[in-house]
Amino acid sequence: MIYYVIHRLLAAVPTLLAVLSLVFVIVRIVPGDPAMAILGDQATPAAVAALDHKLGLDKPMWQQYADFIGASLAGDFGHSMITGRPIVSEVGAVLPYTVDLTLASLLLGCVIGVPLGVWAALHRNRPIDYAARLVSLLGLSFPVFVSGIYMLLLFALHWHLFPVIGSAHMDDPLDRLDKLVLPATTLGIVMSAYITRVTRSAMLAVLGEDYIRTARAKGVPWRRVVWHHALRNAAMPVVTVIGLYIGILIGNSVLTEIVFNRPGLGSIIVAALNNRDYTMLQGLMVIYCFLIVVVNLVTDLTYGLIDPRVKHA
Amino acid sequence: MLVRAALLASAVLCAAPAFAQPKTTLTIGIAAQDIGSLDPHFAVSTIDRIPVAWMFNGLVRFPPGSNDPAKLESDLAQSWESTPDGLTWTFHLRHGVQFQGGFGELTAEDVAFSLAKAGDAKTSAFSSELRPIKSIDVVDPYTIRLVLSQNVPALLGIVTDYSQGYIVSKKAVEQRGDGFKRNPIGTGPFGFASDTPSQSLELVANDAYFRGAPKIKKISYRFIPSDASRDLAFQNGELDVEYGRADQAWVNRTRAQAHTIVDIFEPAEEAELHLNTTIKPLDDIRVRQAIAYAIDRPELVGWRGKDVSREGLSVVPRGYLGFTAENGLLAHNLAKAKELLKQAGYPDGVTIKMVQSQLPEMFTAAQVFQAQLKKAGINLDMQVVEHATYHQMIRQDLSPIVYYSAARFPVADVYLTQFFSSRSIVKTPTAVTNFSHCDVADKEIDAARVETDRAKQLVLWAEAQKKIVAKVCAVPMFETLLVFAHHDTLDYGYKLAGSISLGPLITEATHFK
Repeated sequence: MIYYVIHRLLAAVPTLLAVLSLVFVIVRIVPGDPAMAILGDQATPAAVAALDHKLGLDKPMWQQYADFIGASLAGDFGHSMITGRPIVSEVGAVLPYTVDLTLASLLLGCVIGVPLGVWAALHRNRPIDYAARLVSLLGLSFPVFVSGIYMLLLFALHWHLFPVIGSAHMDDPLDRLDKLVLPATTLGIVMSAYITRVTRSAMLAVLGEDYIRTARAKGVPWRRVVWHHALRNAAMPVVTVIGLYIGILIGNSVLTEIVFNRPGLGSIIVAALNNRDYTMLQGLMVIYCFLIVVVNLVTDLTYGLIDPRVKHA
Repeated sequence: MLVRAALLASAVLCAAPAFAQPKTTLTIGIAAQDIGSLDPHFAVSTIDRIPVAWMFNGLVRFPPGSNDPAKLESDLAQSWESTPDGLTWTFHLRHGVQFQGGFGELTAEDVAFSLAKAGDAKTSAFSSELRPIKSIDVVDPYTIRLVLSQNVPALLGIVTDYSQGYIVSKKAVEQRGDGFKRNPIGTGPFGFASDTPSQSLELVANDAYFRGAPKIKKISYRFIPSDASRDLAFQNGELDVEYGRADQAWVNRTRAQAHTIVDIFEPAEEAELHLNTTIKPLDDIRVRQAIAYAIDRPELVGWRGKDVSREGLSVVPRGYLGFTAENGLLAHNLAKAKELLKQAGYPDGVTIKMVQSQLPEMFTAAQVFQAQLKKAGINLDMQVVEHATYHQMIRQDLSPIVYYSAARFPVADVYLTQFFSSRSIVKTPTAVTNFSHCDVADKEIDAARVETDRAKQLVLWAEAQKKIVAKVCAVPMFETLLVFAHHDTLDYGYKLAGSISLGPLITEATHFK
């Protein structure tokens, strides 16, 4: 197992390097210039040239690339071109928010989605099934920026249960939880909708299998057949979807972050793109890729836990 | 939740009028993801300019609530005089002005250092503004002398509390180097306390402020990019002041809320269509005149909102020193527009390309004037690109028509020089934002800049505007004012009619009632 983990992490290095190279090239060939964000729209060519020199953007592209790869391998991602803060501290300041939101919405999605999917499958083509499918369709159809605003209107403005501004003091667990509830619920609803649908279809496929009929014929209690035999075998596609969705959540929860005024990786990626903050984008991509690699690894390891036939060797 | 309820209940029970203390923490919501630079000489965005104005002073200042350059008054300099030729200016500093954070008393060394820093392209985004200054001499610790290479329209405007005129602590800049932009030291009523990426900037009162200790003790400047979330936070009482939207529906809705005051103030940002006079079909003045006739300014203002906008009446925004409405600007006339197009050889209409930013506020406006031009047979072929790409493409001279909206220091010279002087033509070594390649008023612009007689100067600026309008280098469309909102429990301490920092000035007198 340990060998497998190490092997997978090492295998990720070329992927990381490829992504880094791609990001390095792409951010430099798209039009736009960090000078506009730093010097404003009245900047003269002389001022832009002075800034380019200071930022090292006047060096040949290959030299910039070599500097960047060298520094990255040494673990130095540099400073944001716009804010001047170290990239590690910029990311470190928002990463806990992203992790909190991702894990909380994942938990909520599983807690709602798995039982609902199982329930719908067990009542196929009956009112309960129709209701579950309708609810999950609604969850998928409502954009986060709409459901989020409704959440704020109801729970913050009308009932005064939660604040609108969602940037918590991370060293205060109660404040952290208080400001997590609404965004996590908003994202959790979408996630539960996905999980409900995947669980339902996976369960329907499994419930028709011979071994389920055999288990029932042997007199195994129905509850055990469903939760132990059927769900365990139906869990693989669910875990795959969850793994994929975590990857999406880490970087793409930007709308939720904006609506709830919550810091996060998604927001700073968008800001870095808008400002053409090359160093920030490069640093973010390394960290983002690393997180995706870890999530994929955990997903693969989970397969082994669910199904002993999956070997990690 | 229980904890929150218990805290709320105990707070209510404990509250009694006898112990009521006025609130001293001000929370402001701004439409931004994060702060860029707090070094005042690199504070180029509205988001950065607003808090910088609370932390720094100039030698002179705009009175709080005004952006009228004719009303500049004493700030760090208690008096000043100039030689009759206007080329030598001597400023006498106030005694006992203290920098924040224990960085000592302000001296002429700090002023000389600040102006030199602001005039260097390596350490300032506004270096070109200080080009006319030949030398900066420290006469004594409280006296500084500026010698100019040429007369300038408004020397005081260069050393006021705006961009290049802010005075920084020499010691702090030298100590902190690049870190100064995130941890600055000035002499203003509020000093930097902390900043949290993507969340907020926190400032504290400078109790040693030379005009007296501020009544507000803390400012929390919160970054809330979503308009809807900012509005909800304001309605929920989590914000005292919010950055508003220049939108009539927003103004009406916000005004209808209890205990809310909507602030609409100067300077306005003027939207103009800059027409590249050197390429087909815009090199034909009849086509440019047709565009000018096709633009319906009253309709644009009606769309934008009567409280937040007004018609653009010249190629220099209203209220700027030197602005004139007597310039021969063509009024909306579709028949004339069509006739001119016919005369120019386009009886069936003409199609012109335009690079357009996808920024919603700009893109929506572009769709409105695109529809107006269409009525005259002018088809605007918009290439919609992301905002940073738009800025680069228009500076590469890739857009025959450029829709540009800007506010500048309120003296005609700045607008005329940056947009209509031949030295500012894009893709040249001295380029700024002359997208039209206009050179028709160079003589007047240059002469006005060094004219010492104000009356003659005004005549020259008026003549420049007439020539630019006659050549149709640009078509003024509408001006948009700044919009904020605050709760009526907050008193700024002055009447907010204008703000050169583009946001409400928080002074020592600002307080909660």
